[in-house]
This record gives sequence, C-alpha cells and structure tokens, in this order.
Amino acid sequence: MPRYQADLHLPLNDEAPQILHIDLNSCFATVEQQARPMLRGRPLGVTNRLTKNACVVAASYEAKAEGVKVGMTFSEAKLLCPDLIMIETDPPKYHHVYKELTKIMRSYSPNIVMKSIDEGIIDVYGTRESVNQRPLAVIGHEIKQRLREQVGCWMKCNIGIAPNRFLAKTAASLHKPDGLDIITHKNLRSTLANMELTDLTGIAERNQARLNAAGIYTPLQFLDAPAQVLSRRVFKSVCGDDWYRRLRGWEVDDAEFSTKTIGRQFVMDDYNASEEKVRNRLAHLCESTGLKLRYKGFCARGISVYILYKTGDAWHSRKAFKSSFYTTPEILRRALLLFNQHPRLGNVVMLSVSCYLLEPSTANQMSILEEVNKERLLTEAMDELNERYGNYTVIFAGSLGADKQIKQKIPFGTTRYFELLCNRA
Amino acid sequence: MNQTTLINKDVNIVAYYFKNNARRLRCFPKRMEYEGKRVDFTETGLVHPTKQGQRMIHVFDMTDGTADYRLEFDAQALSWKLVYIADMRHAPVSGRLAPAA
Repeated sequence: MPRYQADLHLPLNDEAPQILHIDLNSCFATVEQQARPMLRGRPLGVTNRLTKNACVVAASYEAKAEGVKVGMTFSEAKLLCPDLIMIETDPPKYHHVYKELTKIMRSYSPNIVMKSIDEGIIDVYGTRESVNQRPLAVIGHEIKQRLREQVGCWMKCNIGIAPNRFLAKTAASLHKPDGLDIITHKNLRSTLANMELTDLTGIAERNQARLNAAGIYTPLQFLDAPAQVLSRRVFKSVCGDDWYRRLRGWEVDDAEFSTKTIGRQFVMDDYNASEEKVRNRLAHLCESTGLKLRYKGFCARGISVYILYKTGDAWHSRKAFKSSFYTTPEILRRALLLFNQHPRLGNVVMLSVSCYLLEPSTANQMSILEEVNKERLLTEAMDELNERYGNYTVIFAGSLGADKQIKQKIPFGTTRYFELLCNRA
Repeated sequence: MNQTTLINKDVNIVAYYFKNNARRLRCFPKRMEYEGKRVDFTETGLVHPTKQGQRMIHVFDMTDGTADYRLEFDAQALSWKLVYIADMRHAPVSGRLAPAA
C-alpha cells in the first residue's frame, strides 16, 4: 500500500518539542566582526576572492539593512552600499567557531547533527530525564550565553525549538538576529498564518508555482491540503507525503546520506586564460581532489569533467573505468582523457573535476605491477610531507603556481574536510 | 576599502594579561613593541589555533581602539609575528551607523 494512503488523516504531532536548531547569524560576517572589533557596526561583506566579479558569500546585518544580499557580485553590492567593506574569507576562523559551537552542542546531547558550517541540530530525545531537565527555552538562552563567553561577545545565534527538524529550522528563522522561538502543535497555525510560502525552507519559486497551480497560496492552505493532493497533484512523488508529515511536526528529515562524489571546482582567475593555463588549473584541481579522496579513505572508479565557457555554453563528460584509482597522477591522467575531448567553444570561465563510483580505498593492496607500486609509494611520501609541512608543499610540476591562485575555501554545504583544508603551508 | 597593511615581521610582546575563560586560565598579549612604537591592546577579538603543517600557530586578533592587529604565536619557536594592521580610521562609515572609537 502506498505511504500516503496510510497517512490520510495524520494529526498534528502533539509531543513536547525535542529538537533545538542552532543557526549562527550571518556566520562569516559575524565572525569577522568578532575578530576585528573595528569592523563592528559597519556594513561588511565577505567574499571568496577580492575581485569585482566575485560574489558576496556573507553580509553583516548592517550591510543587509542597506539591501546587500548574499549572492550579489561585489560591484552590484557596492552600488547599493557605497560604504561596503569587503574582506576575503578566512577558513581557520570559521573552523574554530564551528568547533566551539559543536563542543557546546555536544554537552547537551550525544545526538547532534551539523547541517553545515553555521547551523546544527541538537536532538534531546532521551536526555530529558537526566541532563536536560530544565525547559528547552532556558537551555537555548544558556547556549547563547556560552557562545558569547567561549567565542566572543559579538556572537549571536538564532535558536528554534520544535518537535521536528523542519519546524525547528522554521522557528529559528522567525526573529533574526538573536531570536529564540518555539513552535508546538498549539501555535503552529498562528505561526504559519504570518508566513509566505517561500518563507518555508525548501519552497522556492518552482515549488511555489506547483502549489499555486493546485490552489495553495499560503502555508496554512499548504498545511490543510490533503496528503493525496500533495502526493498526486502537487509534487507527483513521495515528496508530497513527506511535506504532509513535515508540516504536521513528524520527523522525515533524519535520513543520512553517504558520500557519492568527491571533487573540486574553480572559477578561473583569468577569463582569457590560455589552454596551458587551464591545464595547470585542472592539474591543481586533480591534486586537490586526490587529497580529499585519500583523506576520506576512498578510491574511485569514475571521473567527470565540467567546463563552462565565456560564451555561456557548458560541456560535460564522464567516464567509468574498470580499475579503481586514488593517486593524483591517475586522477590527472583520466581527467585529461576527458578534457582533451572538450570542444573549443571559447575561453574557459569555470572548471570542475569530480570522482564518482566511490569504494573503500585499496591503498594497502600491493600490486603485481612495479610501476603501480612506485606511484603508490610516491603518493604516500608526498602526502606525508604535505601533512607535516602543510598542503601543497610538494606538488606535481603540472600544477606549479596554481595553488597561489586557487585558494582553499570552506564551502557552506559541507564540513567533511575541515581538518584537511585548514592545514595551510 | 579595507585599509590592511601586510607586515609579516617578528615583534616583541612585552606585557600580557590573563583571563579565566571556560574554566581555563588563558594568556593574551597586552602590549606590543613594533618599530620603536608601543601599542597597548584594549580588546581581544578572536583567538583561534591554526596549523602550519604540524606546527601549531595561535592567531590573536587584537585591537588598540584605532586599528585591528593580527598577531601569530608560533607554539614551537615561541615567537610572535605581526601579520597585518588594519587601520579603519580612514575607512568609510555609514551615516546611520555608530562611528568607530
């Protein structure tokens, strides 16, 4: 029997809230303002590279008040806010704050999940009788206080408390900055009544259009929509059933996903780069991908290369191999096999390499081929040197000089490679 | 826009202050001597560790009320380095925002 038929009349979840969602406000910008007191109270933008085409990855509340939004290019942001101060990201700082936040969160429950660098979830289910007997709102205020004491007085966070992760995240976004809100079955309807569809996490323009087509224009109408309508007419998949449960406070977002691909992408530092320069950047991306692959203890059987041209055209190619690989020369050799086939549609503006069909590493397995063993030993020796003296201390000649241009950044989405990425040379 | 001057030179920290932070007594620079000038720090922004290979470097972001200073303490060589000075006195301040000290 399909899931949605069983849940036709699922009631609101009336259990006491057990989930705390912690969200650091404008994380990178707030951390920079914490680190540099002279930047406090000023409109500040944080970017990955200080060029006019680079986009704002985080904006302080002062900058947001002037209309600056995350994703704008530096020149657009500067037009809106001429006083904007832009600085480059500094990953070790964010790594430190992330670690402190994790430490604080773990002191309340062993069941914590970091959703990204600036937000995480504490599931206190099963700990209420022992360590967390106080009301969750009191614990929430204590977390805010501890963050200020352990990181710095400028740090602020939003906390949302609810029966499931989705409603906890929704609660955390109600009063920014420094808010603390609770959503239960009692105030769910009144909370949703004051929101737009696109205020809900996961509902952007496309999903809004789908809902509108079924006559759903507000979150309350979304809540009242029958499961069958959501599954069959709106989302036309099990997603509709998930939304039906999610909005009622039942947990559907606790699935864990394994790593499927490992790779790296780079927006070219020079939009008119020669073929030789593009190959040099590609070699560096392969080196970086190999480092991540070995750090996670994987080897791969597939590789893909993606190129975006200045003309707006894109090219993509992927290939699966019979044998697995993990060394940098192997990754580069296979990436070049694909790269050499790319149509010359103009100058390259973005380049990406990723490995897929991941398997547990076979690095311990000796090969019967002497050449393969030599390459494995060389890779091990290089990794050891780079671990001791910092990443990219010893590199392959093909990527010489690229590490000065391709700086290591911490992406918002993942926290899997923090220790690796912060080991500077 | 961001009045940062790279220095990257060894400096002398001639006074420290101590603070009980999260049940640990921690030490912070208080006074720095640099090119014959004396800088008294008034506030600590953020202290975070970072690694240079296997070397542990403690980064101190400090301010003296007119400029921000980044200091690095090499835990192996026990030396202090002034990485940059970000002098915000001449940086623009938005009209409706509080001016810097």
